[in-house]
Amino acid sequence: MDFALDDDQALIVQTVRRFVDKDLRAWAGDADRAAEAPGKLATVAGDLGFYLDAVPEAAGGLLDGAYAHVTRALRGLELGRGCSAMAALLECNVEPALAVARWGSDAAKAELFASLAAGGLATTGRDSRGALTLTADGDGVRVTGKIGPLPALGRASHVLLCATLDGAPVALLIATAGQRVAAQAPSAWRAAAWGTLTLEHALVPASHVVARGADPVALIGAWYRSSLAARAAGVAVAAMEHARHYASERVQFGQPIGRFESLIGLRDDALTAATAARLMALHAAWLCDRATDGASIAAAADAASRARVVAGDAVRQATVDAVQIYGGYGFVNDYPVEKLMRDARPYEQLFGDERFDRVLADPDRAGGI
Amino acid sequence: MDIFHDNAMLAGVRQMLGAFAKQYIRPVAMKHDREESMPWALMKQAQAFGMTQTAVVDGRKALTGKDDEEGANKPKSQSRLGVVGSEELAYGCAGVCLAIGGSGLAASPVARMGTEEQKQEFRRLLKGDDEHGHIKVAAMALSEPSTGSDISSLSTTARPDGDYFVINGHKQWITNGQSAAAYVVWAQTDPSAGRAGVRGFLVARGTPGLIPGRKEHKLGIRASETAQVHFEDCRVHKDMMLGIGASSEGLGDTKKMLDSTRPMVGAQAVGIARAAFDYLVERVQGGTIHGTALKQHQHVAFELAEMEMEIQAARALVHKSAWMADHGQDNVRMASIAKAYGAKVAQDVTARALTLLGEEALEPDHPVEKWYRDAKIYDIFEGTGQIQRRIIARSILGVNAT
Repeated sequence: MDFALDDDQALIVQTVRRFVDKDLRAWAGDADRAAEAPGKLATVAGDLGFYLDAVPEAAGGLLDGAYAHVTRALRGLELGRGCSAMAALLECNVEPALAVARWGSDAAKAELFASLAAGGLATTGRDSRGALTLTADGDGVRVTGKIGPLPALGRASHVLLCATLDGAPVALLIATAGQRVAAQAPSAWRAAAWGTLTLEHALVPASHVVARGADPVALIGAWYRSSLAARAAGVAVAAMEHARHYASERVQFGQPIGRFESLIGLRDDALTAATAARLMALHAAWLCDRATDGASIAAAADAASRARVVAGDAVRQATVDAVQIYGGYGFVNDYPVEKLMRDARPYEQLFGDERFDRVLADPDRAGGI
Repeated sequence: MDIFHDNAMLAGVRQMLGAFAKQYIRPVAMKHDREESMPWALMKQAQAFGMTQTAVVDGRKALTGKDDEEGANKPKSQSRLGVVGSEELAYGCAGVCLAIGGSGLAASPVARMGTEEQKQEFRRLLKGDDEHGHIKVAAMALSEPSTGSDISSLSTTARPDGDYFVINGHKQWITNGQSAAAYVVWAQTDPSAGRAGVRGFLVARGTPGLIPGRKEHKLGIRASETAQVHFEDCRVHKDMMLGIGASSEGLGDTKKMLDSTRPMVGAQAVGIARAAFDYLVERVQGGTIHGTALKQHQHVAFELAEMEMEIQAARALVHKSAWMADHGQDNVRMASIAKAYGAKVAQDVTARALTLLGEEALEPDHPVEKWYRDAKIYDIFEGTGQIQRRIIARSILGVNAT
């Protein structure tokens, strides 16, 4: 076992960190207020290799060989330190690209990769509560219901939907062109181009049924959750970086408030939780890199789900406590932490309630714990 | 009167304000949150319901229709009235509740320490509508940019000059700071006297040197206006200094005031928690997950049980602290317990509700997400959670721990 980064990983972390500290943090406040990422995000991030990192070279992307989820998690940790909304825009293409590259038809590949290569976005959603209606239509699938709100869906050309058809998991690639997409700006990740997609008996042709069965859908979930967990751990770290800086300067009762034991305790608990989340996210990503068959996919899915539970709790508490340490200043948007508290929520909510999912999905449920 | 039972008056107020919250506050709460706007129309309606801006000064006659001073030795119900009303209004929307009741923060020291002349002046300043047709509101200006939790480090000064005091300084996080017709500003009159030299002054809007500052953009309670207020050589007649004579304890006056409002602040937090709880119960009653009823899942049902335990406990503490105040008992420790625990419960219940609602709560303008944002201020304003624990711990150990 080796916890050290290799040279490539260290370089990527260093590069993304510089981008985060110099650009993302500087843009975050304005992007949040405007509910829109700056145009230069695409240029700068594109130069750094985002957007097409999961698209195979042969299809016009940057992926040469196997995709490395560990590297993605390391990158996600840094992006989370910068801005959740822009991080989501930079990460959203990965699951659709990987899934289509791995299991998709030639038609699906051609369509999705042409869009992504031209600067398009794709996103991923899951029917976590069984609210959609899916029916078979030949080898295709008809879908009725509302998908989202999902980050990037307001601008995405495609959404990779994980749902259930006749009791069996399926992953569908749905083109948004000509469909009812509504852009939204909720209070979290405001610049993430959120949207909903409302479908009525929309036909997803057989060529766009990307995968059927438990394993592929579980693996997509593992990718998605490990990435969410990594970014959430980054947000938790950022919350305490800001709080520590503020607490070292803010003087009350004759001393910097950062010297009060109660606040040291808040910071320490937050960093302990963030450290655990970081390690669990990296472990889940490491398992994703090794997920080849049913058993290894199940292990990756399990680790990613647990990482997301810990990371969701960590980011919620760390951001709430960062606001607490800032006190009255934490509640106003001149300072960065109230945004972090709003931004913490989707890490727990996207893709469904993790704890509940495991209660429902436990194969041993009938037999008890 | 016991704390487990609402008497007829309390039950009446609960019913009336509960109905007001549902019928009038809820329908507009999200709009004012989104727009960060004061609910002026609603505030006028509230006034018509008897929730007047000078109610505290008037001994709340307007609200209850009768004088609470039933006899010198009889316990009052003013504090419990405050907690019942606060919980119901905050159940509608905490931001709107604070907009409706925000003037009370300024009215309280006037009622407590004001001369008859000052009370009359306060009523006069708040009478009628302003040029926009809005009701008039008051602001209490205590906190400063460098003076949040540690209010003994106030730097705003009031220098005596003949029959006047000249006020200079900056105030921060002031409810109604931009719109107020009357301000109660706290300033140091005698730096050599330390805490004993702090006094409150009643200052009318338009007084030269009183400059309402910019409005803050906040995480929550966005229907309530929070702004900076600046004082630059603002001359105020000495007759407008509160606590004239021997009755003032300087800064201690503000602490007593904060002690007296804490049960109400805790009650508002309970109101938010109850709002999220009721919303969730309704969703669970009718909701399904993968074709099975949500309410049949222990994972969901036990969460509701946990929330109900917390809410009931918080409400009992709030009522006990108010009951103690109404019975003339020292409630400093209990008021801090009620406020701190209420804040904890409001944050916890709204967070749990969001988690259970899952992706639904990512919709824009989702009420539970708003309540989650609103709840956070209850651990910050009117004494942070840390300050409450400091007070509670000091009452246990007799010393301030750092």
